[in-house]
Amino acid sequence: MGNHKKILLANVHHKDQHTIAGYESRGGYKTIKKVLGMDPLKVIDEVKTSGLRGRGGAGFPTGTKWGFVPRNSGKPVYLLQNADESEPGTFKDRVLLERDPHLCIEGMLISAWALQSNWSCVYIRGEYSYPYVRLNEAIKEAYAKGYLGDNIFGTGFSHHMVIHRGAGAYICGEETGLIESLEGKKGQPRLKPPFPAVVGVYGCPTVVNNTETLAALPWIMENGGAAYKAIGTEKSTGTKLISASGNINKPGVYEIDLGYPLLKFIEEECGGIAGGRKLKAVIPGGSSVPVLRADELEGVTLDYESLQKAGSLLGSGGFMVLDDTVDMVEVAVNLAHFYSHESCGQCTPCREGGHWIEKILNRIKDGYGREQDLKLIESICKQIGGHTICTFGEALITPALSCIKKFPQEFTDKIKEAILSGRKPEEYRHQAGH
Amino acid sequence: MSVTNGQDKAQGNLIEFTLDGKKVKVPAGTNLIDAAKMHGVDIPHYCYHKDLSIAGNCRMCQCELNGKPKLEIACNTVVTPGLEVKTHHSSPAVADAQAATLEFILINHPLDCTVCDQSGHCKLQDFHYEYNAKPSRFVENKEHKVKAEVLGPNVILDGERCIMCTRCIRFCDEVTKTHELGMLNRGDRSVIAINQGKELNNALSGTVVDLCPVGALTHRNWRFNSRIWYTNQFDSICTGCSTGCNVKVAVRDNQVVQVKARYNGAVNKEWMCDEGRYGFGRFQPNERLTSPTIKKNKVDLDKALEAFKSLKGQETLVFVSPDLALEEYWLLKKFLDHDVQKFKAVVAYRERKLSEVEQILVSPDYAANFRGAQLFGLAGENLEVDYKKALEMLKSGSVERVLLVGDRAILTEDRTPDITAAISKAATSIGILADATSALALATQVVIPERTCLEKAGLMVNREMRLQYLERLLNPPAENVMSAWRIINAASKKLGQELVNCMNDRELTLRYLKSDSRLSHIKIADLKNGGVSLTDPSMARASEPGAAVGAG
Repeated sequence: MGNHKKILLANVHHKDQHTIAGYESRGGYKTIKKVLGMDPLKVIDEVKTSGLRGRGGAGFPTGTKWGFVPRNSGKPVYLLQNADESEPGTFKDRVLLERDPHLCIEGMLISAWALQSNWSCVYIRGEYSYPYVRLNEAIKEAYAKGYLGDNIFGTGFSHHMVIHRGAGAYICGEETGLIESLEGKKGQPRLKPPFPAVVGVYGCPTVVNNTETLAALPWIMENGGAAYKAIGTEKSTGTKLISASGNINKPGVYEIDLGYPLLKFIEEECGGIAGGRKLKAVIPGGSSVPVLRADELEGVTLDYESLQKAGSLLGSGGFMVLDDTVDMVEVAVNLAHFYSHESCGQCTPCREGGHWIEKILNRIKDGYGREQDLKLIESICKQIGGHTICTFGEALITPALSCIKKFPQEFTDKIKEAILSGRKPEEYRHQAGH
Repeated sequence: MSVTNGQDKAQGNLIEFTLDGKKVKVPAGTNLIDAAKMHGVDIPHYCYHKDLSIAGNCRMCQCELNGKPKLEIACNTVVTPGLEVKTHHSSPAVADAQAATLEFILINHPLDCTVCDQSGHCKLQDFHYEYNAKPSRFVENKEHKVKAEVLGPNVILDGERCIMCTRCIRFCDEVTKTHELGMLNRGDRSVIAINQGKELNNALSGTVVDLCPVGALTHRNWRFNSRIWYTNQFDSICTGCSTGCNVKVAVRDNQVVQVKARYNGAVNKEWMCDEGRYGFGRFQPNERLTSPTIKKNKVDLDKALEAFKSLKGQETLVFVSPDLALEEYWLLKKFLDHDVQKFKAVVAYRERKLSEVEQILVSPDYAANFRGAQLFGLAGENLEVDYKKALEMLKSGSVERVLLVGDRAILTEDRTPDITAAISKAATSIGILADATSALALATQVVIPERTCLEKAGLMVNREMRLQYLERLLNPPAENVMSAWRIINAASKKLGQELVNCMNDRELTLRYLKSDSRLSHIKIADLKNGGVSLTDPSMARASEPGAAVGAG
């Protein structure tokens, strides 16, 4: 077991941590009192020093993102917490929202002070009903204590917070899709530019931060950006929550220092492959990142740079382990179905191409593949990637492309079998509905 | 002399950018699609419309821009100095992306061109032919969506043909602000749908059909009417009110089979009201006068024209239809001045209340060319007051001689029994009319049949003083039925002096334009394509009532 710093999950095991009394008994809401006496720009500098990167998946430096917000634009600045955690394999924010909701609120307040924002909203995934209840109670408690509302701690600073529950769309986790949804419209990403930092909710400057990112702020402000930067690697600082799932003995949410060896993580934290079977592949950062074969994992560490070098991404930390019983064609079909189902339908390549890929993969899986199908999928993917309004297009093509690229044999075997059997592709009728 | 027409862009600072390797200049702030068009490069697009917000969803207009790692959409790009643009003409990546986009759009499209109303004027057909033209690689089952869904009284939706460009949604959200339409579902199950409790019944609802680049939205009452290639299509203007919307009219077998709004940035953009569109022929009578009559007895034209002699030098009350051509007002004024001398002329004009959506486009009158009549002093500023006063005068029985010029010289609602009685009792009443069954035709003593405004060509001046060209769309019911100007000209000849010697409407228009030095350089093509503003400073003198007359 690695000796990891506990920043986010330090107190989640306490039974009363979700209450304001329990949270305060362990030093909660102490940092914000200090922060409210600071120059907001200093807060941004401190976060920049920490090297904290957005934990939602893109890994964009948080302090830099805040720096894009125009000061004195004459418009209110809105702060949004992205708790729409919906990437398959990702369930890290849930632990924070459920077990330590006040940490998320304190993080929001720090961010709000830095941005001088008087209004924030937590956009929470609709299916997260228990986290919603816990967070809602926490917000009520914070209001009752005067930690939210007007004139917080007598500083004259006001901040109001509401929760908005999503209606079950993956795309509302994309920040402009989230903003559209929050405004009461259909969740569809916006054209960029303009970016939300300048034109966001109701045309006002808006910052969207992931729950985990915000939850790291109290520690950073308490212990200093330099202390946070000391953890992890040079460019991947601090700790990260990894939600591990799949064919492992101990699935769950783990907080690791970034830069921790991937194979060690599987062996020690995750307790090794379940049933003593062999590791086949890992999808390390949520379903939209490229899959890595077992033979590619030697020396790879869990951080932004190492995984990128290995040909994948840290993403949201949705760590999925596949053992040697897993059929990669099934994996590709399953993920292709998810993404074709979740495509918002706004722009042409993703709307039409996503389902097309799913249909071809289904046909291959069911034994009606054709020789040209893999080339066709590749060509469709090439025309979706980079040709869409948001990055969903890339998320859609990655699982299919990387499964085929990393495990071509499994696909070509299915196709060869289909050709030898004499089954005609045009007779194939897949009946799976949405 | 500068001519302001609808297509003109404000002449701001010119900036230079590179288009397919060629350095070109456009006004600063121009959208890339428009900028390319100014230099003869058509960047294909479905969702972009210059008068709607930018959606960027069709992905047809992708271009290569310098310094950008991915292809960018032209519709969301404003041209900046030094920008280097590669379109499909010079970038294989762009051409590939466009071909792929078309393949994507067509995989779930029903390909039912053989029964589709849009066939022949469909952007999907055109672009596929031009930018892809390869057979599809799609062999799976297609997605099925709603068919023949009624959206409102005028518009019907075929969900499978829809390419989700959302122009119709944006039109109802941004222009009419009535918010009837929305998008339901996600991915390739997405469909255009009516919002709960709504119906697409705003005053401009038919416009969404014009905006639809494919055959997804069609007109309920024109569906399956005619293949477009069996029709003659004319660029004309709507004579429903004095807005003068630019239209494209499809005519088959002397019937209007479809009316489409035509772009004119200074008049109607690309919008049109339902009343004008679906009621395009509403002033076209069903039963027509085909022969001159005196007291309901058929006579030859010569005999009928004799009646004009009794007006010479006598006090005459002249009612003028508000939808005659400008040249007709020109000649009428000359005739009245020269031959009748003592006359009082009024134009039939009434205003009504407009709904909020109508106010976007519609004028409160049904008087297409009242401005034209005002230009020649046939109507004053107080149109409605003067018209009502004239009606009162007629009712009082003191009017001895009445001349009705045009079928709508007295509006239908004013053809009361006391008015018609006064006309039939007057010493002389002459009518240049079209409708055989109207109370006017029955009451007037001497009736000469005329062509309606769909049957003649000529100039029209809209409420905003824009001079536009009205095209002849239909044939008259009989060859001997003439335009009003010919009848006036013949009457004038009868009284001694022929006003003009022209073969046809077009020649008269050219003669009129030549007659005024301020208009003499203008071509009919200019008037058809955007029109000419008479309030333009260089036109100032022409806009003074009667200023254009003397030169004739």
